[in-house]
Amino acid sequence: MATKQKIQNDYINHVLTEGKKPVTVFAFAKKNKFQEDEFYKHFGSFDSIDCEIWADLFKETIKEVKSQEVWETYSAREKALSFFYSFFELLKSKRSYVNYSTENFKKGFQTPMQLKSSKNIFEEFSHDLIEQGLETGEIADRKFLTDKYKDSLWIQLMFVLKFWLKDYSANFEKTDEAIERGVNVTFDLLHTTPLDSILEYGKFLFQNAGFKTNF
Amino acid sequence: MKEQNSIPASKVARSAKFVGTGFKIGGNYIKHYSKKLFNPELTKDELNEDNAADIYSSLSELKGSALKVAQMLSMDKNILPKAYVDKFSLSQYSAPPLSGPLILQTFKKHFGKTPDKIFDKFDLKSTNAASIGQVHKAELNGEKLAVKIQYPGVGNSISSDLKLIKPFAFRLLGMSEKELNIYMNEVEERLVEETDYELEVVNSLKISKACANLPHIVFPTYYKELSGPRIITMSWIEGQHLKEFLATNPSQELKNKIGQALWDFYNFQQHELRAVHADPHPGNFLITPDGNLGIIDFGCIKTLPDDFYYPFFSTTSSDLLDNKEETIKAFRALEMVLPKDNPQQVEFYYEAYKEMITLFAQPYMSGEFDFSQTGFFDSLYGFGEKIAKMPEFKQARGVKHFIYVNRTNFGLYNILNELGAKVKTDTYKPHLKLEF
Repeated sequence: MATKQKIQNDYINHVLTEGKKPVTVFAFAKKNKFQEDEFYKHFGSFDSIDCEIWADLFKETIKEVKSQEVWETYSAREKALSFFYSFFELLKSKRSYVNYSTENFKKGFQTPMQLKSSKNIFEEFSHDLIEQGLETGEIADRKFLTDKYKDSLWIQLMFVLKFWLKDYSANFEKTDEAIERGVNVTFDLLHTTPLDSILEYGKFLFQNAGFKTNF
Repeated sequence: MKEQNSIPASKVARSAKFVGTGFKIGGNYIKHYSKKLFNPELTKDELNEDNAADIYSSLSELKGSALKVAQMLSMDKNILPKAYVDKFSLSQYSAPPLSGPLILQTFKKHFGKTPDKIFDKFDLKSTNAASIGQVHKAELNGEKLAVKIQYPGVGNSISSDLKLIKPFAFRLLGMSEKELNIYMNEVEERLVEETDYELEVVNSLKISKACANLPHIVFPTYYKELSGPRIITMSWIEGQHLKEFLATNPSQELKNKIGQALWDFYNFQQHELRAVHADPHPGNFLITPDGNLGIIDFGCIKTLPDDFYYPFFSTTSSDLLDNKEETIKAFRALEMVLPKDNPQQVEFYYEAYKEMITLFAQPYMSGEFDFSQTGFFDSLYGFGEKIAKMPEFKQARGVKHFIYVNRTNFGLYNILNELGAKVKTDTYKPHLKLEF
């Protein structure tokens, strides 16, 4: 009986040695000595394995950071930082696979298919953070924009991922710097900034500048 | 204290920080001169204070080596107006802390475990900054510990930081860039060493062992197995910083005792070990409740090579200084007198440096010296100011070793002065050579 975990491992093994997806599910099942229908019990296609591997990384990271004792005492910013550090720590163990997988990401603005379910998981996680931040006043509530906050964290994560793939510094120290800096920038922007005063002022003028001028 | 929220790490971001500071300072000048239009009595003190505040806040946000340079500038009270000094002195005590998750990450990288799994107790909020890192309180097996953690990438950013500091430095010191370079390289070398925490543990163990017999001095115990390239674990020393100590109105006797311990510590190192803890800023010392001096930072060690040690310290003795010919030879060895100088110049520099050294060596000349007398310091600063205005001293002179040795000894004098201590200065005397 092939378990989900076994199929995933066999798949990673295959793509890393062959550098590409197996030709058919049939060939893949035969090579790894299990029945084809066992494959379909767990996965619809090879793509869904990729999707699942990424999702597992996200789930594992979230589980890990939440199990830390300090978690409850963290601010939203610190929670985000903690997630980023742990995530890239975890990715280290799968760097070859991550390399393979990201190379196959479709170019463009769309979320890569491999990260579809991961994004949902991450958004749910960020949603909680942002709620906390809004409650404590760490994050400014802005009409229309607040809903987009979680996207900025996702973009930040994708940015650090790209950075990490090109980071050749010892122990990925540069990635640590990129995280500390990047996440902080994101949160600084979510915090009340001069932008808010400008927006407020603009709104005030728009609503109250009912007078006509001659110039 | 507010937590540090952003550390500009790339050179571009750091440059931007400095550009920002430049703008602010420009603004301060405008503010000053427009106020002066209406109030001609206005002194530059307020302007200096505004400038110092802006420079300090930008430096402390940069952290790392820039902060170190701020500390160094604050050592040289004679060069900077008082307002700068007061503000820079802040950097000797504290800079904004780094985020909790980064601290956990650093531990996981070096030990594979979070600090709460290594120690019985670990305080995620830092107690104070250690210029290129920060200090956390911890506890293991009932012993209180101090854990110093370094910010990632500090080592790499030193040279680019120094390049940024340069324009400020030569404007403040009135030097040209070319002259500044030999000195900047020396500073860079020391700073790079300072980021090497493994070397620091080795140095700490070595020096604390060599100085173990000096009276009234205590060192923390260093734990090598709990230290790494970016973490140092040592026992916690309970005590007060100099300012807090002085605020308790200690007796003259106690002040003398602490001053004597300091004097002995430095002069034993300079004259016996020939390697000296070259960072005598108040943040590196603690006065323990039982009236001893705790020494808590060994990041910066300057070794004194013989070809510098003998000519320099021999001139602090009147035996050599009375012999003009040999003194000039010593000055040549120290590059205070240069080969291309003509006889008049040789004569000029001989006189000027002799005057300076006589002043500087005053504490060494008699067996006891009272550092509380401001007269000595006034003449020292007065001389510094006079020299700064002389065109002959526009060009920098002296071998690179002067930077850290001067910094060490002026730093020591300054602390002793602040302490108002009277010390016996003949405990560890310089070894002399009378011919060169």
